[in-house]
Amino acid sequence: MALNIAVCIKSVPDPKWYEKITIDIKTKTITRKGIPSIINPVDKNALEAALQLKEQYGGKVTVLCMAPPGAKNELYEAMAMGADEAALLSDLAFAGADTLATSYTLAQGLNKLGKFDLVLTGTESADGATAQVPAQLAEWLKIPHLWNVKEFVLVTEQEIHAKVKMDDAVGEYVIQLPALLAVSREVNKPRYTTAMGVMKARKKTLTILSKNDLELNESLIGQVGSPTWSGDISIPSLARKGQELKGTPEEIVTQLITKLRAAGINPAKRREGDDK
Amino acid sequence: MFTFTEEQEMLRKVIREFVEAEVAPKAQEWDEANHCPVELFPMLGEMGIVGTFVPEEYGGAGLGFMERSICLEELARHSAGLAITVMAHQLCMGGILNFGSEEQKKKYLPDLATGKKVGSLSLTEATGGSNFMGQKSTGEYKDWQWVINGRKCFITNSHLADVDLWTVITGQNEKGKPIMTAFIIDKDTPGHTAGRTEHKLGLCSSNTGDVSCVNVKLSPQQMLSQEGDGPKIALSTIQEVGRAGMSAICLGILRGCLEESVKFSNERIIYGKPLNKLMNIQFAIAENKLDYESAKLLTYRAASMKDKGLPCACEFALAKYAGNEGAIRAAKRTIDMMGGYGVINEYPIGRFLRDTLAGSTAGGTSDILKVVIAAETLKG
Amino acid sequence: MKHQGIWVVAEQTVSGISRVSFELLAKARELKERGRVQAPVTAVLLGEKLDDYYSAKLKEAGAEAIILIDHPALRYFQNETYATVLKALAEQRQPSIILMGATAAGSDLAPTLGAKLRTGVSAHCVDMRLNEEGHLVAVVPAFGGKVLGDILCTNFRPQIATVRPGILGKVICYMNQECPIEQFDITEILAQDQGRVKAIGITYEEMKGVPLEEAELVVAGGFGIESKEIWQQLETLAAVLGGAVGCTRPPLDEGWAKECQMIGTSGKSVRPKVYIGMGISGATHHICGMKDAGLVISINKDEKSPIFDVSDIRITADAAAILPLLIEGLQKNEDDVIC
Repeated sequence: MALNIAVCIKSVPDPKWYEKITIDIKTKTITRKGIPSIINPVDKNALEAALQLKEQYGGKVTVLCMAPPGAKNELYEAMAMGADEAALLSDLAFAGADTLATSYTLAQGLNKLGKFDLVLTGTESADGATAQVPAQLAEWLKIPHLWNVKEFVLVTEQEIHAKVKMDDAVGEYVIQLPALLAVSREVNKPRYTTAMGVMKARKKTLTILSKNDLELNESLIGQVGSPTWSGDISIPSLARKGQELKGTPEEIVTQLITKLRAAGINPAKRREGDDK
Repeated sequence: MFTFTEEQEMLRKVIREFVEAEVAPKAQEWDEANHCPVELFPMLGEMGIVGTFVPEEYGGAGLGFMERSICLEELARHSAGLAITVMAHQLCMGGILNFGSEEQKKKYLPDLATGKKVGSLSLTEATGGSNFMGQKSTGEYKDWQWVINGRKCFITNSHLADVDLWTVITGQNEKGKPIMTAFIIDKDTPGHTAGRTEHKLGLCSSNTGDVSCVNVKLSPQQMLSQEGDGPKIALSTIQEVGRAGMSAICLGILRGCLEESVKFSNERIIYGKPLNKLMNIQFAIAENKLDYESAKLLTYRAASMKDKGLPCACEFALAKYAGNEGAIRAAKRTIDMMGGYGVINEYPIGRFLRDTLAGSTAGGTSDILKVVIAAETLKG
Repeated sequence: MKHQGIWVVAEQTVSGISRVSFELLAKARELKERGRVQAPVTAVLLGEKLDDYYSAKLKEAGAEAIILIDHPALRYFQNETYATVLKALAEQRQPSIILMGATAAGSDLAPTLGAKLRTGVSAHCVDMRLNEEGHLVAVVPAFGGKVLGDILCTNFRPQIATVRPGILGKVICYMNQECPIEQFDITEILAQDQGRVKAIGITYEEMKGVPLEEAELVVAGGFGIESKEIWQQLETLAAVLGGAVGCTRPPLDEGWAKECQMIGTSGKSVRPKVYIGMGISGATHHICGMKDAGLVISINKDEKSPIFDVSDIRITADAAAILPLLIEGLQKNEDDVIC
């Protein structure tokens, strides 16, 4: 049962360096200069899941990324971790894309690379954190998807049983292949990349695909293809406008419990759940 | 211009991630418990940190000394004790790799390179480390076997090694000078035992102690290279594997001192301002940086020369000296900067000082290094 | 553009309706008023066995029109089914704005629907407003909250946005208002569902101890926790709330807490949705370890504690007095009251 698996990754600024990001509010530009990029952390969980499937069933793992040329490093790192091949979708025409245009471009890239049994992604990126690309990518590919998968098992060549993390609950689903799974950090512990892996990576194939290499509807890519666009940006100050709760301890506690409930924290509300 | 290749940069990044996750959180605990975390060896083997320079055909990563130095620097940044454990293991592995027969290489290297077995090099005796030709351990050929007798001290991995490389005096040449020969001894060979464990001032998460041989009987297959090759094996191993490793380890400790001093002076507020506003603190930071960058360039230059097959004994001597003495200075500067915090064990800086002091004697003391450097320089 | 009106896609939960749906209805009413929008604010609810309780609650929370989609096939959330249904409805009725809670289901449903409708989605908004042209401006965080940006979707409709529970906070009670209720039939739509994703069940979790770095809720104690008994109460509070326990140095030195629970530059960094600090003054190194938490609640006897500067809710009181009352109050099983 050899599986052809694709993993979509994102190159993001290292979250440890967020303090050093500078923002020019007037020009609305965010300077990431000097801040190292890494593979979006949860994407490594997706890649690990792919590698484990390949080890169990045989097949191939291809990594795909839509980004400026510098993201080659992240793709080499993914190959050093164990992916067989990588492709970078890079073109000025892709720039300024929102999640809909990004997922469209990724879908065309995947279609160009072949037919995949399974597409794996992480749930969200550390920088934008919209968590929208996985669902939209599945839509463009016309395959079903599940988002926030914490556990899954290949039951037959056509079917996966998955556990999805819901609010305070775990949902169980059956999904038909080909499909897309957006996995969370709970799904596994990614392996370390070894020295041997680093050396092998350079011998693997990294293909760079530009606009002309893909079959594209140009009105659906880049800024043109993005229904949403960014307006003004601002930096919120660390200071928070605290609201003071006053009164006797009893009164304070009553107010506090109301506030907690508003934030969705209400241990008393959990009633019996249904199982099937 | 001297730069690292892209692969070397990626190697450093992935090794650093591994060390920060698996080594850094426990380094202090190991040091305080005098525990050598040799249980990590298989994982280190998988990562390629143990068998970095062993060819792939023998189970290693098939890389060079540049890559080995990167791995040891990253490891030592958080645990010099674990780093020297790996380094000492690599002495044994290097000896067999460079001087072993094909059979010996096939027998020993795969397990050593993958971290399944631990190695050691037993050279030093009570008669001296620098003066290793004055050693008293003997090897006598009797009844088609070599009989080994002697006691080695200050041996790293003394109680942990599965494979122990011993040097012994096997005779005298026509000029009356001692003939030294090297042997490979497997653990549990009758008569080969580890004795006392040393409690050291630093490198407490490495194991140091005595090893003795009482009438240990070895087949001729256990001899490494030819009779009389002992000095050649000892020198090349200590200089090229040992000293090279120690320079990278001291470099790692130095970087630790530099990073701790930067972190502390940026965070600590004194007289209403961060410490880094005071000029004397800025000087200390600059001096730490100077020490680190000098040792770094010396270390990696020597390593790249080694990888090109050029003679580099002097270059490694310079590198180890710069790294070791530099780390001692940087550690003291940083302890001074940190005030009371500098002498509290929760902060690693005290351990860095102790570790680099303890490392002074490994791979050549500073005085010996100066002798080596002078000898090379005076050649003109 | 002929698209009109603000919709809130409400969410059925095992105990009724997710509170975020009410928060969104209040917000939708506010947007309508300020933007002088004519069309009624409509609540759309998909689920099973949607009796009068549901429409009553939605009306009370601000819905001016309700569309109920009641079918056994909607008992569990299934992204494809839900999105196909909403797509058909949205294409028919053409709302201008669709809001939903960024719950686990909403975070999946919104982008799926957005892709099916080929329109824009703004996720995890922390605020929203209508600009002069009547377009929705959604305010979203990026880079871990370091930056806030306005997102607009001017040329595409509907404009879809999601908001996390508790962010908007405000829920309003509306009395005596007109609210027509419609039952939308989906038999035909379901007939076309390929059924490639099927929900086979759901298990509600016991809230148990989680590692500090991953916890969604953290209760942290510091110097102001004066005895082991009080520390144990703090641990009980964390257990009741299903959160993890954090600390600063003093409880660690006393031996009540472990090294791995320390939050700060020499300890751990945490980003829980809710952080409750008790008896913590807020030294810089500790704040560095928790400044990115969602909702920060601090309780300290000293009103000048630095931690209050980075808190959303400040309580000047002795933690020892608050703890037992809080534990007791949280465990009382009260009916979900809107107001």
